[in-house]
Amino acid sequence: MLILTRKPGESVYIGDNIKITIVEIKGHQIRVGIDAPREMRIYREEIYNQILEENKQAADSGAASDQGLEGLAAAWSGRKGSGGATSALQGKVKLTSGTGNPEVVIKKKKQ
Amino acid sequence: MANPDDTPVEEMMTVKSSRFGEFEVARSTIITLPTGLIGFSQGQQFIMLEHKPPFSWLQSVDNENLAFVVVDGYEFGDQYQVEAPFGDATIDLQEGDEFAILVIVTVRSDPKDTTANLKAPIFVNLKNRKGIQVIFDNPNYSTRFPLWTEEAQAGEETPSGDAPKGEGSE
Repeated sequence: MLILTRKPGESVYIGDNIKITIVEIKGHQIRVGIDAPREMRIYREEIYNQILEENKQAADSGAASDQGLEGLAAAWSGRKGSGGATSALQGKVKLTSGTGNPEVVIKKKKQ
Repeated sequence: MANPDDTPVEEMMTVKSSRFGEFEVARSTIITLPTGLIGFSQGQQFIMLEHKPPFSWLQSVDNENLAFVVVDGYEFGDQYQVEAPFGDATIDLQEGDEFAILVIVTVRSDPKDTTANLKAPIFVNLKNRKGIQVIFDNPNYSTRFPLWTEEAQAGEETPSGDAPKGEGSE
């Protein structure tokens, strides 16, 4: 890790268009200013790690049973809201069932 | 728009899924996450499969074992307000472009423990089908918003159904 010493008001450039400025030091807290292109995503580490962890757990949803999802879908009917744009995203395949049952997939692989 | 290539209208490709087996989809339906989901930079191409509405699966094209349950962000109603990443170069989303919001669902062994990650939805530009996961540093949006609410259960158990739609349920 590169370690630099900076005073309040001083900055560091990362590449040509990311500038990190030490704004203020107050006791144990340091305020950091970041100038970066809009598409750069900047997150506090703890939040980033929280999302990373949740993504990993969500990936394990593969173990979810169809019945479980069905129950959830039924419970959902008590909610409001209307599916918007996602139908435009769906593939040409509509699954009618799951769990290793390729026969029920509408468009099967051609031989 | 003259297309000099003699490309077929629907180029098909085979997708393998440990959950759903092997099937063909039109290549044009692939959703690309150029920067990957946070923590999953390898599986970048997905197809979306409708399953138990409103739930769909985002099945990785590259990894048959990788799939996520997602739900349309609009399902959460007006209370769920997140700012679309207009100007984002990764998915080239411009103001006025149509996009979808996919909220990732974590299904646990007991379906009642199922939660939705409202803090980090995926935005997909419908024009180029490129998507990106965006984190909202907003304390109102939890990474574990419970989907199985008392209200929904009550709705199942009360045949009279005279409860209005559960507004002001406190």
